[in-house]
Amino acid sequence: MSQIVIKDRIPERELMTSGHLACPGCGGALAMRLVLKAMGPQTVVVLPACCWSIIAGPFPQSSLRVPLYHTAFETGAAVASGVRAALDMRGETETKVMVWAGDGGTFDIGLQALSGAAERGEDFLYFCYDNEAYMNTGVQRSSATPWGAWTTTTPVEQPQSTAKKDMLAIMAAHRIAYAATASVGYPVDLIEKVQKAMAMRGTRFIHILAPCPPGWKFADEQSIELARLAVESRVFPLVEVEDGDRWTLTPAEAATDADAALAKYIGAQGRFRHLKPEQVEQIRRNVDERWQRMEKQASLSD
Amino acid sequence: MSEPIGTSVPPRRPATPPIAVSATTTEVNKTGAWKYIRPVYHDRVAPCNQGCPAGVDVEGYMALLREGKIDEAAELLALEHPMPAVTGRVCNHPCESGCNRGHFDGAVAIHAVERMLGDRLLAAAPPAPAAPTRTERVAVVGSGPAGLACAYHLAAMGYPVDVLEREDRAGGMLRQGIPEYRLPRDVLDAQIRRIEASGVTIHTGVQVTEATLPEIRSRYSVIFFATGAYLGRLLGVEGEELPGVWQGLDFLRRVNAGLRPPLGERVAVIGGGNTAMDCARTALRLGARPIVVYRRTRDEMPAIAEEIEDAWREGVEFVFLAAPTAFRTADGLLSGVACARMKLADAGPDGRRRPVATGESLFVQADTVLLATGEDPELEPWPEEVVRGGAVAIDEWGETASPLVFAGGDVSGDERTVARALGAGKRAAIGIDRALRRRAGVATPDTSALRWGPTGAPSVARWRDADPVLRVAPLNEVVPFEDVNTAHFQLRPRNADRHAALDAAGAPFAEVNGGLGDDVALVEAGRCFNCGVCNECELCLIFCGDVAISHSHDGGRFDIDMNFCKGCGVCAAECPRGAISMTREGL
Ligand SMILES: Cc1cc2nc3c(=O)[nH]c(=O)nc-3n(C[C@H](O)[C@H](O)[C@H](O)COP(=O)(O)OP(=O)(O)OC[C@H]3O[C@@H](n4cnc5c(N)ncnc54)[C@H](O)[C@@H]3O)c2cc1C
Ligand SMILES: Cc1ncc(C[n+]2csc(CCOP(=O)(O)OP(=O)(O)O)c2C)c(N)n1
Ligand code: SF4
Ligand code: SF4
Ligand code: SF4
Ligand code: SF4
Ligand SMILES: [Mg+2]
Repeated sequence: MSQIVIKDRIPERELMTSGHLACPGCGGALAMRLVLKAMGPQTVVVLPACCWSIIAGPFPQSSLRVPLYHTAFETGAAVASGVRAALDMRGETETKVMVWAGDGGTFDIGLQALSGAAERGEDFLYFCYDNEAYMNTGVQRSSATPWGAWTTTTPVEQPQSTAKKDMLAIMAAHRIAYAATASVGYPVDLIEKVQKAMAMRGTRFIHILAPCPPGWKFADEQSIELARLAVESRVFPLVEVEDGDRWTLTPAEAATDADAALAKYIGAQGRFRHLKPEQVEQIRRNVDERWQRMEKQASLSD
Repeated sequence: MSEPIGTSVPPRRPATPPIAVSATTTEVNKTGAWKYIRPVYHDRVAPCNQGCPAGVDVEGYMALLREGKIDEAAELLALEHPMPAVTGRVCNHPCESGCNRGHFDGAVAIHAVERMLGDRLLAAAPPAPAAPTRTERVAVVGSGPAGLACAYHLAAMGYPVDVLEREDRAGGMLRQGIPEYRLPRDVLDAQIRRIEASGVTIHTGVQVTEATLPEIRSRYSVIFFATGAYLGRLLGVEGEELPGVWQGLDFLRRVNAGLRPPLGERVAVIGGGNTAMDCARTALRLGARPIVVYRRTRDEMPAIAEEIEDAWREGVEFVFLAAPTAFRTADGLLSGVACARMKLADAGPDGRRRPVATGESLFVQADTVLLATGEDPELEPWPEEVVRGGAVAIDEWGETASPLVFAGGDVSGDERTVARALGAGKRAAIGIDRALRRRAGVATPDTSALRWGPTGAPSVARWRDADPVLRVAPLNEVVPFEDVNTAHFQLRPRNADRHAALDAAGAPFAEVNGGLGDDVALVEAGRCFNCGVCNECELCLIFCGDVAISHSHDGGRFDIDMNFCKGCGVCAAECPRGAISMTREGL
């Protein structure tokens, strides 16, 4: 059959409710919905400040049908460590703990807490939904913002001048059991990665690219297409790292032209509109270099 | 010491608990109010359906095949089409030219899937004849595809139908023109038997003439003329009357009747259409060396592309840009064709580039010449008001200027293909039913909604209100390729028909094109995008970040909760087949 049929591989249960406050087309909202389908009802969500603090609804609402613990921006991994310990003391060892943090709360301000927890081997899943800036407070740059991108703090006259921090490599360097990237453009892969991580113990890290229509400046309906293009263009490769050194690149579903996908990916987003052809070419070279590094790492793991 | 601080004060009730605990879900927020555009499920029309001149629901049977429902698929095909085993072999398949998959990795080989289903219908038990429910009798003159299609669809509507055919075998040009190596006669015979089994009576050896027409008109309520075009055209050049210069169609009719006329060694075939290709390939099979003489180039040849390729592959020679000016003799025998060397000028009114003489000439040696430059209809038995300017004039539903006299197929000015003839027969069947029902004072359905898309052929199932396919809020517009989301499909190149090499000595008239075979045909069907009609893949439901889509409880497929849909358009963008439209209506 030529259509890739996925409906039988997506759990039916809905643990997220309608009426949440995400923007139309928010990749982060869909990411949570899919992750919870895999996590199941016996889950506690720890949520440091981010867009999702708003999406979950104001007091006394919640858009999740599982316990959700709002906490301070920098504390996701620390709070999760505490929740885990408390559950264990109560004998609720089957209840799973997960952190749901933005890129700011992961790459920047939450990094210390996350590194500490990973070093201690705290038993939880850490999800970073990455919209590549501080979106909740109005699109300020983070260390996850890609080179060349516009944000309100990196205006077009001086766009982001540093490369996106390699968060996956940082987590791999902690030699945790499982670190992976995933995308809302590939729901089956995303869900299978969560399920795989759930079967392990210790700190597990999944980094999900979550396109943000207002922050990246694209049309709402293109959200999933951009998530796919990010993977096809190798801007955001799908990878797994087990025990810190076994790298596996997720094979592409179809043979795609990475350069053409990159042109489409960049072209669809207002945050890149100011880029000159030579700057786009620079991005292409960087993407290519990083891809080759990953391929080498993956081939070393065979 | 006094009591500890606080114990004397009554406990204070905090406005919020020390830890705020949610008491409701976000469903209290009607976030659907944010939207300025909304999604709607609308099934639409696949381009193949609009492209099929016979009005087949191609997408519909492909969808059934995808679900493994082969018999249902064959039945759906048979509902709209009396002879799929024939068109699966000889159709020029304009359905494929429009196929959206053509912009991805090659059009679906619709003809080959149709052939598989057509052969399957022939292998199955014949259908039970429809019991006549109508009293008006219909005479169909001519048993080619137009006549048989009209009769087949009328019988299904409950009319008693008699087909009158002057030859001793039914089939029209399928039997007299198209050679056996393209359309084996056991297939044609079985196909005609199946049409008869469905309730059509065929009387062969009955020529309708001006003299017999009044009697026929008195015995039947309606007459449908589908008498084809059998008069070979002449070129009007010197030597055309010479022995050895034959009409190509007469040659084919003789060979198709089992004769083997002696051709000599070199045979020049004049023309570039199907008749020319069939003459050349048939001559080759009789041991001659055919050469096709055509005044334009290969690109302008009107023959079906596959036929040109097959002729080429089998070793037929071609002289392009050559227009006959005279047929010559030597020693009293035909010696060949004198030609003017042509070149192509700008496109003429028909859009094809016109050939103009260069002043040079050439000579093509030939022992026999076969003229294949087109055929004209015989207009002899026709009521006078029906014939205008050398052709039969009909309206959209096949009716001539003479009430209750209908016509269609090659005899009218229609494009000369089997599929067009089938469509003409179907249109006439609908037109006849409409006219008779009106006469009987019965209300008739609206004919404006019968076509597949704005320009397609009609669906007789729609006319009969018997379409078995569920269509949700259908829109009669065609799904363009841009509305197909190819991200959800894997590349799967088109499967090619199996071709047998010409066995000139052993079995020269054996079928050349072996189709795909059942298994590969099913694989090919799996390539179909199913443009425009939801197949419940659930991608819309999976990708909705607002959890606004759910399985329907009231007969449709899905419901969208407008209280919560924010109108992002992701569902419509991700739908692989363009079955969701975005609209501002109703907001
Ligand atoms: C050599 C050749 C090859 C072709 N190849 C293809 C092809 O590969 N694909 C394709 O799509 N099309 C092809 N065509 C065209 C196609 O065959 C015709 O367009 C189609 O058959 C027309 O159908 P029809 O029913 O209008 O007429 P016909 O098929 O010609 O049928 C007319 C019938 O009416 C009968 N008849 C005529 N006058 C009377 C009368 N007075 N009384 C009783 N009966 C009468 C005739 O005997 C005949 O049986 C080909 C045509 C030729 C000549
Ligand atoms: C210590 C601290 N500093 C600043 C803030 C304000 N703040 C709330 S959310 C946010 C940005 C979050 O960015 P990110 O983690 O990327 O999540 P996003 O909103 O982009 O989803 C900021 C700066 C805060 N809550 N706490
Ligand atoms: S700003 Fe971006 S990440 Fe935040 S809710 Fe809107 S779309 Fe989602
Ligand atoms: S892909 Fe299928 S439905 Fe679409 S045009 Fe081609 S055959 Fe028809
Ligand atoms: S994806 Fe959901 S929210 Fe977006 S338009 Fe479709 S139904 Fe509405
Ligand atoms: S996405 Fe799939 S289920 Fe939804 S409308 Fe399109 S075809 Fe139907
Ligand atoms: Mg962010």
